[in-house]
Amino acid sequence: MAVYERTWRRYSGELTALKGRFLVVTKYALADVFASRLFTAFFAVCFLPSVVGLLFIYLSHNATLLQQLGMPADLMDVLTAKFFMILFSWQALPAFLVAVIVSPSLISADLANNALPLYLARPIDRREYVLGKMAVLAILLSPMTWVMGLLIFGLQAYFEGGDWWLQNYRIGLAYLVGHLAWIAVISMLSLAISAWVRFKPVARGVLFGIIFILAGFAQAVNGVTGTSWGDLIHLVRAINSVVMSLFGAPTPSGLPVVFNWLTLAAATALSVWLINRKLRPHEVVR
Amino acid sequence: MSQAETASSPAIGLDGLTVDLGGRPILVDLCASLRGRAIGLLGPNGAGKTTLLRTLLGFFPPTAGSADVLGFSLAGQGKQLRAQIGYMPENDAFVAGMTAVRFVRLMAELSGLPPEPALERAHETLFYVGLGEARYRKLGTFSTGMKQMVKLAQALVHGPQLLMLDEPTNGLDPPARTRMLELVADIRDRGEAHILLSSHLLGDVEMLCDEVMILKNGRIAAICDLEAERKANRSFVELELQAPNEAFSAELTKLGCELAVHESGRMKLVLPEGRTIRDLYTVADRLDVGIRHIDLKRDSLQDIFLRAMEDDNGGV
Repeated sequence: MAVYERTWRRYSGELTALKGRFLVVTKYALADVFASRLFTAFFAVCFLPSVVGLLFIYLSHNATLLQQLGMPADLMDVLTAKFFMILFSWQALPAFLVAVIVSPSLISADLANNALPLYLARPIDRREYVLGKMAVLAILLSPMTWVMGLLIFGLQAYFEGGDWWLQNYRIGLAYLVGHLAWIAVISMLSLAISAWVRFKPVARGVLFGIIFILAGFAQAVNGVTGTSWGDLIHLVRAINSVVMSLFGAPTPSGLPVVFNWLTLAAATALSVWLINRKLRPHEVVR
Repeated sequence: MSQAETASSPAIGLDGLTVDLGGRPILVDLCASLRGRAIGLLGPNGAGKTTLLRTLLGFFPPTAGSADVLGFSLAGQGKQLRAQIGYMPENDAFVAGMTAVRFVRLMAELSGLPPEPALERAHETLFYVGLGEARYRKLGTFSTGMKQMVKLAQALVHGPQLLMLDEPTNGLDPPARTRMLELVADIRDRGEAHILLSSHLLGDVEMLCDEVMILKNGRIAAICDLEAERKANRSFVELELQAPNEAFSAELTKLGCELAVHESGRMKLVLPEGRTIRDLYTVADRLDVGIRHIDLKRDSLQDIFLRAMEDDNGGV
């Protein structure tokens, strides 16, 4: 059938797999995100900490190059667990900023334009729709966090040789599990905000508010009560403590790390509940 | 579904379908077996037309009873079912910031078409609905009529077996309305898809549908096979002559027609079996009688609808 025929017929060709259909949502959302050159440039900049980390490791293990550059030969001595912990933070921060930039319009735009019935009238359900939107953030945040983290860990293990990687497996574990936990929490939280707040600047403000104002409130609770129970609502401290425990370092929270895990799990569950509540009425009542 | 299956099995089967929303019954014990190529869903505002469409799409779970669409059960086969449906919602619905062709392609891909065929069909479908020249324009810049057409395009692009149209002529000016009705009629006449048309415009439904289900307060008030009605009423004729002519009346009586003649030259008659309108023209030609107006009188959808609305117990 050609366009000039101006006719219509049934489709009889092959269909894509039903299981991966949610990735269509992801594909189009990603294309929209990267349509902005400014964002693309920012996205590239977000890899800078990891690239610097890689360079640092490479330089540390290349005595000849260090000598030629006139840098101290003991540069390698700083490659302790602390180096990897600091690098973790410098990867997590840009990831958070990317989530802040991208997430506000992911669901709200569809709700504002009543697009949800169009999506859900197709062979895709609400869960897959959210999964597709969440995959946008996962795909954007993963390369700059745990993927680069594991690459750095792998490069260090390669240069060190022997059983360094076995002795320091916690570093790799922290990069993988810590970043994935952070991505899961921040993705669900920002999607929940996107579902409930239509205006982008307000949505961004709310996300910042939840992260930082809640942290201040938690500090106040800790100060007033003289306990660490405020940490239960301190998301930043919760993720920090989880990551530190994965690194095998002392945690900043006064609570056992299992409570920090519970804080993250509760924030994610609450976000899922909020998304579920918001998306359901748009199927029911317009 | 093959042509044979299409003819034998109902497009939509409702078996005691009941839907409650917010604790309030919206659809109550709907039982029907709809086989028409184009099925009209009629009813006053709040009758439950849109709720029924959405229930058939799997948006609302039935409180009781069940429904089959194209042989797929609502319970457990929702995705397979939705893959065969094209849905055109009543209100504005689109994805922000997209061009028409990208939007329609997205919808095609969501229905399972690989990217290349999806793009190809998006172009074809937009040309089919008359938006070929506007396909690279952002949807936000479209007029109401164009938005209706692009909604039709997204419902058609994947070649569904059942096209659900919720008030497709809403907000359209007369030319756009005519164009929309022509398109729907064309799709119906191709015989490749069933059409479920929800509307409160009797004219649209009468023009396009061969079967009608009338809803009232969430219950079925009437189900009517319009095609059968048309056939059953084919012999009733209203006729107006340029001048009264007794010879013409006598000839019609000889043909076996039952007739009532008005002084003005108007007459109402029932053609006997085996006689057609052509016989009336033949007699008029032989007697040199001028026929000013001739009309096949039938029980209109409006009559059926009004009767259904008056009948509190429903008239299934």
